[in-house]
This record gives sequence, C-alpha cells and structure tokens, in this order.
Amino acid sequence: MFHIAENWFKEQNWKPFPFQEESWNAFLDGKHGLLNAPTGSGKTYALWFPIVLNYIKNHPDYKIKHKKGLKAIWITPLRALSQEIKQSAERITQDLETQMTVGIRTGDTSAKERAKMRTHMPDLLITTPESLQLLLSSKGYEKTFKDCSAVVVDEWHELLGTKRGVQMELGLSRLKTICKELRIWGISATIGNLEQAREVLLGPTSPELENSVLVKANLNKKITVKSIVPKEMETFPWRGHLGLHLLDQVVPIINNSKTTLLFTNTRSQCEIWFQKILEKYPEFAGEMAMHHGSINKETRLWVEQAIRNESLKAVVCTSSLDLGVDFAPVETVIQIGGPKGVARFLQRAGRSGHRPGKESVIHFLPTHAIELVEASAMQKAVLNSAVEDRIPYLNSFDVLIQYLTTLAVSDGFYPDEIYPEIKQTFCYQTLTEEQWQWLLNFLVMGSQSLKSYDEYKKVEVEEDGKFKVNSRAVAMRHRFQIGTIVGDATISVRYQKGGYIGSIEEYFISKLSPGDVFTFAGRNLEFIRIKGMAAHVRNSKKRTNKVPSWMGGRLSFSAKMSELLRQELYTAELEFSEQSEEIQALNPMFAKQREESIVPQPHQFLIETFKTRDGYHHMFYPFEGRAIHEGMSSLLAYRISLLAPITCSLAFNDYGFELLSDREIDIQEILDNNLFTPEYMLSDLQKSLNSNEMARRKFRDIAVISGMVFTGYPEKGIKMKHLQSSSELLFDVFRDFEDDNLLYQQAYTETFEHQLEEGRMRLALERIAQQEIVWKQCSQPTPLSFPIITDRLREKLSNEKLADRIQRMMAKLTK
Amino acid sequence: MVQNIQIHNQKFQLHPLGGLFWEEKSLLLISDVHLGKVSHFRKFGAAVPRKAIHQNFLLLDKIVSDFQPFQICFLGDLFHSSLNKEWELFENWVAKTPAEILLVAGNHDIIAPEKFEKLVVSIFSELVIDSFLLTHHPEERKGYFTFCGHIHPSIKLRGFGRERIKLPCFFKSVNQMILPAFGQFTGTHSLDPKDSDEVYAIVENSVIKV
Repeated sequence: MFHIAENWFKEQNWKPFPFQEESWNAFLDGKHGLLNAPTGSGKTYALWFPIVLNYIKNHPDYKIKHKKGLKAIWITPLRALSQEIKQSAERITQDLETQMTVGIRTGDTSAKERAKMRTHMPDLLITTPESLQLLLSSKGYEKTFKDCSAVVVDEWHELLGTKRGVQMELGLSRLKTICKELRIWGISATIGNLEQAREVLLGPTSPELENSVLVKANLNKKITVKSIVPKEMETFPWRGHLGLHLLDQVVPIINNSKTTLLFTNTRSQCEIWFQKILEKYPEFAGEMAMHHGSINKETRLWVEQAIRNESLKAVVCTSSLDLGVDFAPVETVIQIGGPKGVARFLQRAGRSGHRPGKESVIHFLPTHAIELVEASAMQKAVLNSAVEDRIPYLNSFDVLIQYLTTLAVSDGFYPDEIYPEIKQTFCYQTLTEEQWQWLLNFLVMGSQSLKSYDEYKKVEVEEDGKFKVNSRAVAMRHRFQIGTIVGDATISVRYQKGGYIGSIEEYFISKLSPGDVFTFAGRNLEFIRIKGMAAHVRNSKKRTNKVPSWMGGRLSFSAKMSELLRQELYTAELEFSEQSEEIQALNPMFAKQREESIVPQPHQFLIETFKTRDGYHHMFYPFEGRAIHEGMSSLLAYRISLLAPITCSLAFNDYGFELLSDREIDIQEILDNNLFTPEYMLSDLQKSLNSNEMARRKFRDIAVISGMVFTGYPEKGIKMKHLQSSSELLFDVFRDFEDDNLLYQQAYTETFEHQLEEGRMRLALERIAQQEIVWKQCSQPTPLSFPIITDRLREKLSNEKLADRIQRMMAKLTK
Repeated sequence: MVQNIQIHNQKFQLHPLGGLFWEEKSLLLISDVHLGKVSHFRKFGAAVPRKAIHQNFLLLDKIVSDFQPFQICFLGDLFHSSLNKEWELFENWVAKTPAEILLVAGNHDIIAPEKFEKLVVSIFSELVIDSFLLTHHPEERKGYFTFCGHIHPSIKLRGFGRERIKLPCFFKSVNQMILPAFGQFTGTHSLDPKDSDEVYAIVENSVIKV
C-alpha cells in the first residue's frame, strides 16, 4: 500500500517524515493512537493518507466503482480550520483518483446542506464536537456511522481539559459500539500529560487503549525567545495589561520582518492595539489587519488568505490564530502580555518560521513591570520545554445529562446498553450504579420521585424500557442547546442597513445607551438600538475608549512555570552581572520594593499589610500560580473568619493574593494559630466555598449544559423569553430546596477537583510551613502588590450576619 | 420586623416578606408572586426543584396570618404563565384564605378572567381608593399616590473594603411606591435612587430604610 503514498510524496518533491510513516503503519495495522505533532508539521497527511489507503485496500476497484457512505470523521475544535483540512484531504483523494468526497459540517453549514447530508453523507466528514453530537441526535444515526472506519480528533490538547472534551469522550463511546471497524486517533501538541491524553481519548480500561500507539513527531525546532525590555524603566507601569507603552519598540520589529503576528490575550486588547498602531503609524494602513473570534467569518477568511499571499505586514490577533492554518510567510511573532502557559507560548512561537528546519522567533512584550520576570522565566521554560498538563474532567453529570437526552431525542436508548459504554470513558470511570439511577430518574421525572401535580416533561420511558423523547418541542429545544457549551449570551452586531459585523457579549451591549460609540472589529460604531437578537449600529467618526471586554483568558500558571518564576525572582538578590537582562531592567522597581518591604528569597514567605482609600489590604505572596492562590485565599479567609466574623474581598494573580477588608486583620493571630497548615485543608476548603461565590459561578455552565437554563439561540434569532431564568436564581432555589441534587453538588466538586488542583495546593502549603514568615507593615502599596490590589475581578467571602454588615455600611454612609 | 410609614395621612406597614399593609383599610398589597413559574419551567423540561412550588404558598400564609387583612390585592403578575397544575394549589389557597381577594392584572396574567371569577377573585386593570392608585406598571398620575409592582426593585449598597450588597427593596419616590417581587423564583432589577427617593431594603427579617 505504502508505495502509493511514497510515490505521491515523490511527486510533490517531499520526503515523508518518520512520524508520518509510523502513523501510516500503525493505522493500517488496525491500531488506535495518539499522534504528538505540532501545527504545520504535516500531521494532516499523517492520518488522511492511511484512511484513504485503507479504503483502497478494501476496494481494489476504487477507480471505477465507488461505495457510498461515511468512511471517516475528522474532528476539529475550531470550525475556522475545517477549510484547510478539507483542502489537504481533497488533494489526496483527487491525486489518487479515488471518487471519495469530502464534506464539512459545522455551525456554519446551511440547513439545506445539512438536510442533503442526511441522505448523502460525504465519504470524509470534517466536523466539530458539537456537530458530532448533533448527528447523534438525528434519527437513524446508527446506519449513518456503521461503515465509518476512523475518527481523528485534531488538536486534542485543546479539548482535553474542557467539557467539549467530555462531549467527545461520550461521542466516541457510542461510535465504538456502532462502527464495525473503527480506529480512533488523536492529534495533540506537546502537553505535560500526553500519556493520560491517550488514556482519556481511548478509555482507561478499553481494549482500544491496549491496541494503541503513541507516535511522537520529535521535530526539534529551534525557538528563540527575545524580551522587549523597556528603554526607560522609570516610566514603565507597575500594573496594567495593555502594554501600549512599548508600542514604539514594536514597530522596528514589524518593519524588519516579512509578516508579523501580534498575539494579544483578549479581544479587547486586540482591538485597542490595532487602533493605536494605526493612530500612531498611519503608514501601516492597508498593510495591517485584525483577527479575533468575534469578527465575521468572511473577514477572518480574508485575513488568513492575505497572510498566505504575503500582502500583510502585521496582523493583531488573539488565540483565534493559535491553531491550524499553515502560514508560511510569518517570520516573527510578538506575544503581548503573559501567555499564561508554556504550551501556548510554544505553539504561538511555532507560528513563525513555519517551514521545516526554520527557526521560530518570538518576542515577549511585558505589559507591566513584574511581567518582565515572567519574560525571563519563559525563556528558561522554553529551553526545558516545561509544558503544563491539561487536566481532564471527572464525573461531569451535566454533560452526561445532555448526552443521554441527545440519544433519547434520536432513536432512544436502553440504559443497560449505554451504561457499560459510559463506564469505559475516562470521565465516568467511577460512576456508580446509584448515580446512574439518579441520572435516569432525573431525566424522566426531573426529580427522584413522582408526584401527581407535577407536569415535568422531557424523556419518557416506553413500554419496552426504551428512554425516548417524543415531544418535538423538547427535541427542538435540546438540539438548540447542544453546542451552547460555553459562553455568555451573545448578540450579533449589524449595520442598520444590513451587514453582519460580528458578535458581542450581551452584557456589554446592555451597558450602552443609544448614541454611545464603541470600538469593534477595528471600527468606531455608534449604537442605535437592539432589535431582535441584533444590535444595530452605524459608523461613527467620534473617538471613544469603549471597547467590549470579553471574559476568559485568565489561565493559571502550571506548577513548573510557577517554580521557574520563583527562581527567576530570587535572582533579584544576585550581583547585577549575574542577572538576566530583564531582571536588570527591574532593579529600579526592586529598589522601590525594598524601601518598605523585601524581595523575598527562597526561604522567605512575604506578607504585607497597608491601608488605602479602599480599605485594609493584606497581601500574601506564595508565587504558586493564579489557581492555587484562588483556593488559598478562600481557605485562609475562611480560617480567619472562624476567629472572628469578617467580610472580605479576595483578589489574586500568578504571584500572590490579597484579602481586602473594611477592618484590620491581625496577622500575628494568623501566625499564632498556624492558619497555613495543610491539615484539614480539604474540609476547610469545602466549607469556605459555602461562604463565597465560586460554586455559584461554576453552576452557570452546569445549568446551561444540563438544559435547566435555556439560553435561546441568538444566531437563529430565537429567544424563549418565558423560559429564561438566571442560573443565579436557580442556584439559590437548589440551595434552599434540593441541595442533594448531583448537578448542584457538581458545582462544588468542580471548583476543587478541576480548578483548585488539590495536590498542588497541599505541596504549596507544606512549602510555606518550611519558610520564614516576613511580615511588613507598609505605609503605602508596594510594587509587588500593585497588580493585585488594582484587580477588579474579585471573589467575596463573608460569614457576618447580613444585618450587621448593612448596619456598618449605613454607619459609614451617614459619617 | 415591619417598617411603619405614613402617606397622605394613612398608615402603612412594610413587611420583610415583601407585602405592604394599609392599616385603615385592612388591605394587604402583594406584587409579582409569579405563581406557576416553577411548574411552567418543569413542564418545558427544566428541572427546577419541585419543592420550591410550595414555598410561595407558605409565605403567603405567613404574611396573611401576620396581618389578618379584610382584603388582599395582588398588584399584577400573580400567575407567571398559562394554566398549569399549580392553579389547583392556588384554588385551594383562595378557598382557605379568609379575605376578599382582588387582582390588578399584570403583563404575565394571561389566564382567562372567568377562571378567576369562578374563585370569586375580582380582576381590575387598575384600582383607585381615595387618593391612591393601584396599578401593575409604574405610573404617576396627578393628585394620586401610586402603589405598583412590575419592576422587582432592588438596591445596591457599597461599603469600605469594596463591599457590595444587593437587596430587594420597596422603592418610594415622591408620588409612587414600587413593591418588591413577593415570589420566590423571580429575579430583581437594581434601581439608582435620586435624592428625593426613599428606599426600604429587605434585610433578612426586617425592613430597613437606607
């Protein structure tokens, strides 16, 4: 078989990489596997080829006769990538003179095309995890998939730590049963837990895992990291996330390279950078573009094409350009602000010098002083490839409820058939019979017992024990709901005369009044009105500083990266000549820090206290990464509250955390009572969650995914007003009336097991126990504290009586 | 703990459950109960806890026993949706409650008036009693003081240390009082008071002027 592929490569003047041949071999041997290869390494050819070869092998007369029906599914997390994948597939199917067809099915696919697919599936289908679920919700899906020989899950690392990954696990568990001869393959960039990634993909105890391989591309690519060090440190800010101070230093980099990608962390930052560069350097007009997830598809495609044509000098973008799409002309990448992850940083670096053997160059642009430490640590991280793990979810009952409803909507399901499939997945390996029964009851009765006045309606049990949705309305609502797995309600932005510009969070629009001007998609737009599910706007010449903000993008450092960061900070005490360029540049800031406090050393744990207009600040610096600090702040605040009732607001970043209160907290008391002890950590953490809002926020996604909160379907203009309620309200109702509900409890367990990384937190507390505690009472905020105390996104914790709090607030009002 | 206020020389008590009692008339005003909402959601496959259905009736019983009014007037949005089985619970509640029941219809009240008439609940689009106007939607009318609902008002308080609290409230402007939503499974909408406004916030078991 191989010669066909080898000939094809020869015709292109290419030589297959060892990892490509290895994958072909394994696939044709009937093995499953995980391919570890970066974007742009030829990974699509590593798997499209054996899929086609396998068909040729089984159908020797493939050139004249064609067997219709679905043969392989390629899953991509971003629909933007599907075109590219389709092109590489078509190149093979056409060059090898097969009559195979390639089709795409995503949220962008028209209803007409989808209807056509119902009767005529393409041979090779490219789709997203959500669209795969939708296929499972259509009648007779078993027949559609029966001859499917392969599922390839591309960019598996992107899905792994998310609920879309869980959706994928469930989808695969079904396909394993209904496809006669299925091979499952994942493709993943380098992450810390590759072996586990394979286990999650195939199922921890499955025969598939036993019969699988891990193929590593091992393309040792040279990556050079350069920091953009501010020329004048004195005026460089202590806080902030935009980085515009260094705009002038970016321009020569852009000028010296063919095409430069500027990665920003949020869409608003992307908008602002684009705007500001053009304002200051109008000569870039026409040679610069912007690319982020809220911009309409046509524009995005145009930008991607323009990068390939080398007609753009610079593109300001977000993670929307992280994946896929081969952009050979990109020579340089600039990362603005901390990328919050070594893996992501490496991936972005890999966007440049995209040809085998070429060097990748990435510039790190710090947005505030402390980020220079991160810039310096990042260079070491890249050298050691200290990439982080993606932690898979466990027992996501919400996704399971959604999946079971999906099966009930299409052909119905028998619990005895489905339970073993689900038990084989990684996510649900510990699911008990009791929990399973609970879920089934919940699907049918919306509770655990039947009551006469209850009209709950969703899934019905038919006489032979089949679980089935018979109401068309329920089915329709459910199909809408699949895929709304993340995100706030969005609203489309259109010109009054028509013309779609993009979509924006409803929250932002709700804050605008008619006549307000905001920046979006690189344009200044005047808000006119909301009509249906669209915001009508017109172009405006007015200047504005209103830029839509998008949540998210707040990732936490891994344990490895946090350690590198600490090590880097400790070099502040070294001789000037032994320091990195970045740390040298920070010396004025360190001097300022030392005026009233210290720059901590390995054996020290720093606590600072001071008072400002906002209240009493209590700063703690474990340098363990944002997620750990989030949990630790909640834990500490809870333990303090046991000594005396308090109300405080918590803020945290990758360096430390703050407890802000309206009264002074006695630090000596914290130390005397040993409040950082790892003992009883878990139960204290659990209790702390009851007095803060973390679980409440987690519940939001759970309520949407499990179908308890209906969000409507903005792109289709369908909004079911009478069925809308906020997940906040619902959370309260569960707390008051049904706190044993598994979905409600999931909100709490998720906060721990997924977000807080219990094990890491214990290690961190043990480390603190070994350190000498240095408590500095300062007269004003220190440079280290600055980025934290100015953070507006905060958690709250209170165990005071509401009435007492009000009394104190009123006393202050009347003062 | 109720809060006592006077308007146009009449005495009113603001109850922490969200009702308002007019002493001289022995009239209890309650707004936005949204009965049937939980059942409506459940009927459409959203599994809101079933036990929450009864809470509204328990609270209604509690406030009625606190004041023992001659009349109870609902200021609209008594029933959230079209008819469902919670209506039967409402029928029982009306039958056992020893007071005359009036309804000023709100935008959610789409159940046929005949159904209410059968229970001897009179429906009005608005009510005028002396110099007081009772409506669902806020409305200022010359010479009258209005009691209304619809908004589900709440107020945001701020304190030292970036403390913030949102509380449901009775929201009084010069000639109008907006009642908080009585219903359990209902949200709130926060209002910014002007200097001439008075806000009575519900803090657990008491009503406090802020």
